[in-house]
Amino acid sequence: MTCLRWAGIVGLLGLTLTFCFVSNSYQVFLVALVGLTTMVGVGLNVLFGLSGQISLGQVGFYAIGAYTSAILTTTVGTSFWLALPLAVLLAGLIGTVLALPALRVTGPYLAMVTIAFGFIIEHGAVEWRGLTGGASGLMNIALPSAFGYLFDDRDVAALIVGCGAIVLWLFWRLSVSPWGLALRAVRDAEVAAQSLGLNPLVLRTVAFTLSAAAAGLAGALFAPLTTFVSPSAFPFVQSILFLLVVIIGGAGVVFGPLIGSALIVLLPEYLSSLAEYRLLFFGALLLGVLWLAPGGMAGAIGNRLRRRSPHRVRPSDGIDVLAWLRQGTHGQVLKVEGLSLAFGGVRAVADVAFTARSGQITSLIGPNGAGKTTVLNVLSGFYTPDVGSVTLGGQHVLGRPSHAIARLGMARTYQTSQLFPTLSVLENLLIALQRGRLGTLLTVRGDVRHEGELVQLAAGLLAFVGYDGALERPAGGLAHVDKRVVEIARALATQPRVLLLDEPAAGLGPCDIERLGKLLRQVADADIAVVLVEHHMPLVMSLSDHVVVLDAGRVIAAGSPAQVRQDEAVRKAYLGERRHRELARPATGGTRQKCVLMVQQLSAGYGVAPVLEGVDLTVHTREMITVLGANGAGKSTLMRALSGLHRPVRGVVQLDRQDITTSTAHRIASAGLILVPEGRQVFPELTVLDNIRLGAYCRRGFDASQDLEPMLARFPALKPRLQARAGLLSGGEQQMLAIARGLVARPMLLLLDEPSLGLAPTLIDTLFGVLAELREAGITVLLVDQRVDLALAVADRGYVLQNGRIVHEGSVADIHNDAALERAYLGEFG
Amino acid sequence: MLAVMAIISGFGLGSMYGLLALGFSLTYTVSNTVNFAQGSSMMLGAVLCYTFAVTMKWHMASSIVLPLLLCAIWGVVVERFTVRPFVRRGSSAWLMATLALGIVLENAVLFTFGKEPRSLPSSLAARPLSIAGLGVYPLQLLIPFMGLLMALALHLVFRCTLRGKAWLAVVQNPDAAQLMGINVTGTIAVAYAVSSVFAGGAGMLIAPLFNVSSDMGTLFGIKAFAVAILGGITSAWGVMLAGCSYGIIEALITALFGSPYTNVVTFTLVIIALTCMPHGLFGRAGVKKV
Repeated sequence: MTCLRWAGIVGLLGLTLTFCFVSNSYQVFLVALVGLTTMVGVGLNVLFGLSGQISLGQVGFYAIGAYTSAILTTTVGTSFWLALPLAVLLAGLIGTVLALPALRVTGPYLAMVTIAFGFIIEHGAVEWRGLTGGASGLMNIALPSAFGYLFDDRDVAALIVGCGAIVLWLFWRLSVSPWGLALRAVRDAEVAAQSLGLNPLVLRTVAFTLSAAAAGLAGALFAPLTTFVSPSAFPFVQSILFLLVVIIGGAGVVFGPLIGSALIVLLPEYLSSLAEYRLLFFGALLLGVLWLAPGGMAGAIGNRLRRRSPHRVRPSDGIDVLAWLRQGTHGQVLKVEGLSLAFGGVRAVADVAFTARSGQITSLIGPNGAGKTTVLNVLSGFYTPDVGSVTLGGQHVLGRPSHAIARLGMARTYQTSQLFPTLSVLENLLIALQRGRLGTLLTVRGDVRHEGELVQLAAGLLAFVGYDGALERPAGGLAHVDKRVVEIARALATQPRVLLLDEPAAGLGPCDIERLGKLLRQVADADIAVVLVEHHMPLVMSLSDHVVVLDAGRVIAAGSPAQVRQDEAVRKAYLGERRHRELARPATGGTRQKCVLMVQQLSAGYGVAPVLEGVDLTVHTREMITVLGANGAGKSTLMRALSGLHRPVRGVVQLDRQDITTSTAHRIASAGLILVPEGRQVFPELTVLDNIRLGAYCRRGFDASQDLEPMLARFPALKPRLQARAGLLSGGEQQMLAIARGLVARPMLLLLDEPSLGLAPTLIDTLFGVLAELREAGITVLLVDQRVDLALAVADRGYVLQNGRIVHEGSVADIHNDAALERAYLGEFG
Repeated sequence: MLAVMAIISGFGLGSMYGLLALGFSLTYTVSNTVNFAQGSSMMLGAVLCYTFAVTMKWHMASSIVLPLLLCAIWGVVVERFTVRPFVRRGSSAWLMATLALGIVLENAVLFTFGKEPRSLPSSLAARPLSIAGLGVYPLQLLIPFMGLLMALALHLVFRCTLRGKAWLAVVQNPDAAQLMGINVTGTIAVAYAVSSVFAGGAGMLIAPLFNVSSDMGTLFGIKAFAVAILGGITSAWGVMLAGCSYGIIEALITALFGSPYTNVVTFTLVIIALTCMPHGLFGRAGVKKV
């Protein structure tokens, strides 16, 4: 904070205090009221602004503070200066107790608990006549005195202003301390926060307690201000107004509650003719703020101020990141033995065992659905396996909560980036550097973001991973490749012994992948055991010291990259054996078949980066077309774009000469383009029969004999499970169900997105049979599948997609012999 | 005797909590959101009925049907302006937004309808019937009947009709539901409309027994929400059961200990219940996906 800003704040404070002694009684009262509302608002700012939890019961703590202070000073006769801290303590204690039920629930449930609490206090105050004076309340509350001088109402107002300033200052210290960062981290991404060693329950309880204490403080000061306390001062709507104060002012911003309070308290006074309409006005104002300015008024101003003063940090060359990382490792070995886990009816992982040594890169590979991410989730503590053991340097890891495992030295990155989006890049790393030890509540050392040593370390780590952007940028706005490397830097900032990486190369271009490879090698050189889950075969093969291959939850091969490449089982699981007989292709004759689907120059993307660019595609009646390409090439986006789930798209998509480029998904389904989406998207709580019946929803004419019987004939495994809930079926059965559901719609064009995903080899045979049948029946199909052999065995023509563009189009025979395709899937073979 | 009277009136009142809570349950089942100001929809129904029947002296039939229609429109407005924009953004601000709109409605009604509570006369609450020696208004029998009927209707629709299954599908997998040709946004709008109709209907049924005023809905709505949560929010029967139980417990406490303690005790029970069963009596924990 610059000197100018300090001067301004002190000046404003001085002005306000002077005002208290100079102007008339009523205006002083208003200023004091603003001060009290600000205090409650600051407490709520900690709870809602920093920690992201809604409380609609703050008025309860306000009342507790007021009554405690009033009763102690007036009925019991204690000094105000003792009553004040006791009131704050009591309110805080009750807040901690309320946190117990409140924190087990979220969202609307949490709102309910806090509302109930507010009502209990309000009605309890009315009923407990002996203590609180009932509905008539307590009158003639004693005023505080100091050194023999008795305060009058102006002195109390000045005291309130002073306390308000102190509370604002305390909030500022909290928000820049490690605790403040930790609260925001837990709000942004609870899972990632846990994997950095933060305990969300403790953090949220602290936030609750602080907000209760702040409201209690305000209440304790309210009593001598008005010298009259009654239940009518604490209605339910007041809790809503407190929340309004924070939202309007700007959640999480230091001066937000002050601005909000000034608005809420003073505005009705200055529009006195409209004061009756104040609640109506505030309701409308709240709606307006939520729609148009979710950051509140102070938030909008604050953003502008922050942009004007960037804090550039240059890492000193003295930081040896590798040496620092080596300090954390002790040559520990990660041993996984006999891991098994089933979800409902689906066996995700069965008897998985491997060892990851420090200084080595161990890769887990396998087709989609093989269980790789599940293994990582077990290792980082988010799932508990049914059987098995995991030891790190001899210490048992399983059974501990994930934040405890993180503190043991297990770090990880995620498939979809789990950075804390509202925090800056620097702040993301600073949280990780704390390693779960947050120190005292209010930092005495100063803004943690200016803390020399830690900041240097953070900057050094960021340079180490190759991030060269600004440290103050919010992590949510980073480019994709930057997000990946910053997440790795954040994981490294915990000085881990093991680094688990979940598909770090996803979405990266070739240059970035090469750099990633070099980075991971360096990380391994720091004696960290690197466990890598990846699909990008060239990267895996060139980088790994040890490769473990999973398929359908089991380990089917393990060894050096060279050994694994030659392994028969691996080739079968990944590339397939090409043993599926080629289907006889129907003679096309001379006439051109009718064009069912025409795609011209289709482009689509997420945000700035295009995923598909200029895709041209045609499908004719009775054809089976396949689109091939590596992971990340854009196949799924293509399917989503065609089916209407991804909008908007550029280009033209025509279904039977009807333009569907801008149509919504449900209309496209009714028009006859049916997508069987990737990943077995059944309705888990509905029965198998209901799932199938819903497949025919778009054409509204489901006939059991005409529609159901043929399906059961094609997929006999479904017959005994008709009344079972779809979520309990095995992966393969769910896939069959999804296809049956798509077929029941009698589509003009059927899109199949990765139907072989997670299917065991025997079920792949069944799938092949189904596809062959569809060919015979003359159903028009567009097929995307990672099992190249399967796709090429049934298709008539194929397209190859790479980095969002069509790079090859032709008959199946052409593609069969194309070395480029193999390269795309399995990397260079030696 | 007192206890029996309490149980009867509590059952009636409780089924109203239940009916209001069915509205919460319906929208939550379909979209994982609720109109937090459901109480104001209830008030709207009662106020409109009074306006048409008493102020404008229209025929009773239209004074019942028209408010329900208007409540349905209000439900669509609530969803369109205070729920959809925030769900689209992935924010949970719909909670505060629906609350804010409820405040706006209540105050708008306050300024047009006036502060005075009015009584809505009804032929069903004019003369008590004598049943087993007790005086019971016909309305007190109609209310639980309507409540249970609605619960049954919802239950049947979701269990036995394809359209009901389609609605359940919407929240289980919105993308896949769209691919089945189910209009997801339309479904959610209809759910809110029906939920508002339930609330308005409850308001009209209750109005002859309590008075019609602009703030009649607030406490009612909050209790109905507690009931919905306790019943497990996605289960129509659970919610109705919780509602009736809540009403009966409330009435018994009032009869035995006096009315002042009612709210304190019942709200404390709510907190205790939520502590022990964070997902309500009939709710199920969701699967955590990492």
